[in-house]
Amino acid sequence: MGNTDGSDWVRLIVGLVIVLAFSQLNALFLVWLERKVAGHIQLRPGPKEVGPFGILQTIADGIKLVGKELISPAAADRKLFPIAPILVFMPVLVGFLVLPFSPDLIIRDMNVGVLLIFAFSTFSVLAILAGGWASNNKYALLGAVRSVAQNVAYEIPLLLAVLSVVLMVNSLQFSHIVEAQNRFWFIFLQPVAGIIYLICATAETNRAPFDIPEAESELVAGFHTEYSGMRFGLFFLAEYTNMFIVCAVATSLFFGGWNGPFGFDLNIPGVVWFLVKTYILIFIIMWVRWTFPRLRFDQLMNFSWKVMIPLSLANLMLTALVVKFV
Amino acid sequence: MANKDVMIEKLRSMLGDDAVCVDDKYGAGVVSAATAPAAKLVEALGVFKDTGFYLETMTALDFQDTQEIVYHLNCFEPMSRMSLRVLVGHGVSVPTASGVFTAADWLEREVREFYGIQFEGHPDPRNLLLPEDADYHPLKKDFGKVHAYRTRDEIYG
Amino acid sequence: MRSMADQFREPIVERVYTLNLGPQHPSTHGVLRVLLDLDGEFIVKADPVIGYGHRGHEKMGENRTYKQFLPNASRMDYLSGLLYNHGFVLAVEKFAGIEVPERAKYIRTVCAELNRISSHLLWFGTYVMDLGGFTPFLYAFDDREHILDILDRVSGSRLTYSYCRFGGVCQDVDAQFVDTTRSFLKRFRSRYHDYDNLVTKNVIFIHRTRGVGVITVDQARQFGVTGPNLRACGIPYDMRKIEPYEIYDRFDFEIPIGTKGDALDRYRVRLEEMEQSCRIIEQALDRMPGGPFWNEAATFKVRPPKGEIYFGFESARGQTGYYLVSDGTPYPYRCHIRVPSYGNLHVLTEVLRGTMMADAISILGSIDVVIPEIDR
Repeated sequence: MGNTDGSDWVRLIVGLVIVLAFSQLNALFLVWLERKVAGHIQLRPGPKEVGPFGILQTIADGIKLVGKELISPAAADRKLFPIAPILVFMPVLVGFLVLPFSPDLIIRDMNVGVLLIFAFSTFSVLAILAGGWASNNKYALLGAVRSVAQNVAYEIPLLLAVLSVVLMVNSLQFSHIVEAQNRFWFIFLQPVAGIIYLICATAETNRAPFDIPEAESELVAGFHTEYSGMRFGLFFLAEYTNMFIVCAVATSLFFGGWNGPFGFDLNIPGVVWFLVKTYILIFIIMWVRWTFPRLRFDQLMNFSWKVMIPLSLANLMLTALVVKFV
Repeated sequence: MANKDVMIEKLRSMLGDDAVCVDDKYGAGVVSAATAPAAKLVEALGVFKDTGFYLETMTALDFQDTQEIVYHLNCFEPMSRMSLRVLVGHGVSVPTASGVFTAADWLEREVREFYGIQFEGHPDPRNLLLPEDADYHPLKKDFGKVHAYRTRDEIYG
Repeated sequence: MRSMADQFREPIVERVYTLNLGPQHPSTHGVLRVLLDLDGEFIVKADPVIGYGHRGHEKMGENRTYKQFLPNASRMDYLSGLLYNHGFVLAVEKFAGIEVPERAKYIRTVCAELNRISSHLLWFGTYVMDLGGFTPFLYAFDDREHILDILDRVSGSRLTYSYCRFGGVCQDVDAQFVDTTRSFLKRFRSRYHDYDNLVTKNVIFIHRTRGVGVITVDQARQFGVTGPNLRACGIPYDMRKIEPYEIYDRFDFEIPIGTKGDALDRYRVRLEEMEQSCRIIEQALDRMPGGPFWNEAATFKVRPPKGEIYFGFESARGQTGYYLVSDGTPYPYRCHIRVPSYGNLHVLTEVLRGTMMADAISILGSIDVVIPEIDR
């Protein structure tokens, strides 16, 4: 509990407004980016009608979604069904509080920043389960159950990979971790942990090849089968914002955050470095989605429990040994 | 000896020589056509299965005086298609072949719903292509628009 | 509202629940409904329900002349429409004894093989898309567009053809057809390497297809499975070699076979079949003679003699057969079509038992069924 005087409150409120605005803009941009990337990988141009290069396409889609009727299935749970999309979206916003955009652009540089982000990202799993169960639809329930199993399984190697970095820096505070990377980014010192983190992050955000919960060709639309209109839109907003958050965390933990490569800033402000690196990682995640087919569910679980967890555990122990004796 | 020759021998011994006619030139797409009485149908199909044949298709023909079921069987060797024909009158039922060839399960369902020929002992006599509550038999020549309704001798005489 | 405790007090009676892989589903090819009894993720019983696309082609066959039935033939399996059209024309020509000039035979073979490639390309795109890889679908369709353009120019239709007529084809092909086809073959062969690298060697794809949906030879014989599904089990049964029709015995091509009969083998067999079709097309284009493209002496109203004929040929999905019974008039007395997807779908009632739900999609896709041809 720090000092909460007037300027702190102002700072908090301004930060919240900026966060909300930024997350919406970010989702807008990412939806457009995804469709363009998908298009070009598939030998077609993607959206190009609405606005220059189709930039306003997402706004058009958003207006369409807002205008749609919110259909609730007759036997759906009356209270849980409308709340679930909101529950999915809210925890993701909390993550923005601690992201280190630049040395003085952190809304609240908590000393348990890393912990906060991962604690809140687990909430969205609960909300997905609530949404799938409340829909009263076998397909949705199947999707939600799979999503929970997948998320839980891939949380563990994710946290173990992050722990390796934390062990090296001896702090859970984001600004400390980023400052520790001003010569060498941690991706060079912890390549295994970095790759494990990226794979698990893709699984956490339910992106392909781990998108079984929303596998279109198998379960129609998985846990958001019964949602229409803006409720459906909220699920998607949550997914894209979550994608931004995990990539931002990856940037902070492994790719230097606001630092330039090898300490050379090239006079570019830190926030630009941060955003560029985050968006490159997002692009890579999108690229992977349009290249690989989907893993079968048991293969997915096997991959986590039999490959990822042992690897990340070994990495953690090696890090501990090195940190202790070197 | 090729499968088909083995099969022709067996059919001849089982059904008699004049029930089996052989056409090596494959004019009609079959190397032999055999006629069997309904009682010996399942036995004949069993012999086909033991000789390594598979049931290619099964269909029925509707005539004024009778109905006829035609089985086409083939094996994995060149030019070996054989047909087996059973004459059934209108409203007569035939033993099922689904115990011998599982493919007959669906084929008999289709013949039953289109021609009204009942198959005794069929495990699952639902409609296959028509709606579940259809009580008409479309391919019979007294249903719907029909161009010609002939007796069997007019075509095969 | 009941309390939460009440909701939990109801006894759970059964573990097996019924899931309806309904008629509207992104992965069922055509309008297919599969009633699955699931125990968790495992399928206990699979019961396909078909008939949603029954249009009564066989009844139509009895009420139309042979010439009027020509358009019906390609609408049964619209993906290999030209192959069905070709097969029907061959059946009637054999039945009625109509001569076909040499040039027409070569043209028909080239077009039939092009149609086979386009059907396999569509299967390839949709199969990988079912598994989650969205991109090869568009590449495959790009190639398919080229084929459709070639066939469109020469026959006037893109999907359902009546190009082959009794006694030949309805229009001649010119030098541009030959040139475009050759350039397509060249482009397709380089694309073929892309497909191999992007999909066949992809670890995730191999995990999704290896050992999945094995069809044994015995099951194939029981259910009447033909086509690439049978060839993946190791039996070189292709109507083009077993009962050579048209001029297939003049060409040098191989029948690719698999070993284990799983989805990966079926995939590989179809991919190699596309390559073999390219070989046939090349040889046919090299040797195409000049001359008439249509037998003008063929009678206007085809009147086969009394009797019957069963003509079997190889369509993209397996062995197809036309069983025609004639009473001497221009109208068939019975026109029955034996479709390969019948047996291919039927075998799923046994193969799907004991597999997982996600595998069911993979198996369904690898079998390559087109439901409208079952429904006729």
